Amino acid sequence: MSTEAGTETVGRQDRHTGSMLDVARFEGERRLPMTGVLAVVFALFGAMFVALAPDIVSTGAYDDIIEAMPPAMVALVGFENFSSIAGVISGEFYTFTWVVGLGAYLAYSAAGSVAGDLRNDRMDTLLAAPLSRTNVLLGKYLGLLVPIVVLNVVIPLVIYAGSVLVDDPIALADLAALHALSIPYLLLWAAFGLLLGVVVRRGRTAGRAALGVVLAMWLLESFVTSTDFEWLGAVSPMRYFDPAAILVNGEYGLEGAALLLGVAVVFVALSRTVFVRSDL
Amino acid sequence: MNVIETTGLTKYYGEVRGVEDLSLSVGKGEVFGFLGPNGAGKTTTIRTLMGFQSPTEGTATVLGADITDAAALRDARGRIGYLPSEPGFDENVTGRRLLEYHGSLRGDVRSEELLELFDPPLDRKVGQYSRGNKQMLAIVMAFMHDPDLVVMDEPTSGLDPLKQDQFLEFIRAEQERGKTFFFSSHILSEVRKVCDRIGIIRNGHLVELENVESLLDRTGKVVRANVGGAVTAEEFAIEGAHDVTVSGESAEGAAPVTTESDGGGEDSTTVSFTYTGPYQPLLRHLLNYDLLELAIEEAPLEDIFMRFYGDHDAEAVVERVENGRTDGHDGHEETDSRNAEAADV
Repeated sequence: MSTEAGTETVGRQDRHTGSMLDVARFEGERRLPMTGVLAVVFALFGAMFVALAPDIVSTGAYDDIIEAMPPAMVALVGFENFSSIAGVISGEFYTFTWVVGLGAYLAYSAAGSVAGDLRNDRMDTLLAAPLSRTNVLLGKYLGLLVPIVVLNVVIPLVIYAGSVLVDDPIALADLAALHALSIPYLLLWAAFGLLLGVVVRRGRTAGRAALGVVLAMWLLESFVTSTDFEWLGAVSPMRYFDPAAILVNGEYGLEGAALLLGVAVVFVALSRTVFVRSDL
Repeated sequence: MNVIETTGLTKYYGEVRGVEDLSLSVGKGEVFGFLGPNGAGKTTTIRTLMGFQSPTEGTATVLGADITDAAALRDARGRIGYLPSEPGFDENVTGRRLLEYHGSLRGDVRSEELLELFDPPLDRKVGQYSRGNKQMLAIVMAFMHDPDLVVMDEPTSGLDPLKQDQFLEFIRAEQERGKTFFFSSHILSEVRKVCDRIGIIRNGHLVELENVESLLDRTGKVVRANVGGAVTAEEFAIEGAHDVTVSGESAEGAAPVTTESDGGGEDSTTVSFTYTGPYQPLLRHLLNYDLLELAIEEAPLEDIFMRFYGDHDAEAVVERVENGRTDGHDGHEETDSRNAEAADV
């Protein structure tokens, strides 16, 4: 019996503790493949719009169609600004990719990152380590910065390069502002997904619910535009991030971005409170 | 100071009882077997001790940390290894990446050495792992930071018999190095190989703490012998045999289970009973017969439990033990029936 060895082991002081960044690194790494796929798809989609934009703008081919459509429909598919390349890109490309697509992806992923772990006992495996629940939650949230940052760097370069190639360069400052201001918007959806994941917990259900809410909010904001119920759209995050306003009119809407960021912080804090208190 | 100490630890999931009024202590360097049938509340207890859920009532400390003090328990977990029965892993990454990740979270001082004993295919994605490989990966993770205490929930489940033995051997070696183990299982035979002390949990209550030897003396084996010819139960009323049942006995009139072998006309009889004595007298007695088949097995935990108290109504036993120990709790019957389904969530 080597009790001495045991005493030595117990007395060892240099115990390692895990950090939020360890979690964030792992989670971020896991997001890389999907980030790559999204980058390629968005880049191709964007290139297509940039290539087609000069034709759409010069021929006015869609003017009749737009006039015949109800305003809600026009708002939904972003046909308001078909008179310039910036209008086409912001109304079409950024609506579908950033406002809806990326928002939905982040909400879904954030919800799944927590709910999926809870459902499959991965959270037990993770929290068996000397790691606080706050670290786990924030680490998972930070991991979502990988798609947010990568896409916000790669895609504007593609769009700008494309607009130069078709001889109608987009204002670089506006493009940069658009992407910078999209970050609070995307962080908000990620935070919302996180909260849903912690509250709903049921694996894929949380992700699907998050997806549903993103789409519902987009439809809500589109349909109430120029109606008596326009005030309803105030609850939709889409109201506070308007690519067309930034790219076409140069209206940055900083207050809106600040509001989105504030709500994102509240959602993360709320998720943390729920997560720390509940049974896994 | 005890490594694990619980006082009246109780966990209810709403109305459903996980574990109730559990008081036990595990000393340093001890291997404590936490035994109970499936659904008895073992996992509930372990997950509460790990801080995954908070107790409804009662207190517990693990390595001196109060389990309701999240910060203290987090630090303590740096010295705890956790081995669940069905470990959940990210399936899209390789075992190597996962080990690296968990090493970054808890420290890695001996994974290389452990991988020589337990060798999951590290370069394959965990999603392609067999049950046994997953369990081996979990074992490496549980021990890689050289913890002082290892909490294990049915740790051998999924391991093939050879690896099971290797693992139990490993536990013995680690105990010699001064490690403490909290070892939950529903299989007495594996627990008896390594545990110094055993607590039995049943329907959420801790029923008996014994040292292994005295438990074994009282548990007995299930003996089933198939012998040629007719035998009566009285013939097997030897010392240490209990509950002798004979099937195929040529009782008056119908001979229900007598098996006619193909040769024609040769009867055989199956005798089964629980036996608590030494082997020699049993075997000597059996050799008086034309022994066709013999099986000596460990009694199922439920039977052991009944034998333990000489009572066939296990529920009544729990009640009696509880009433004898404390002044009794009301309303057990109501929750007992529901417990089996919900305890090991």
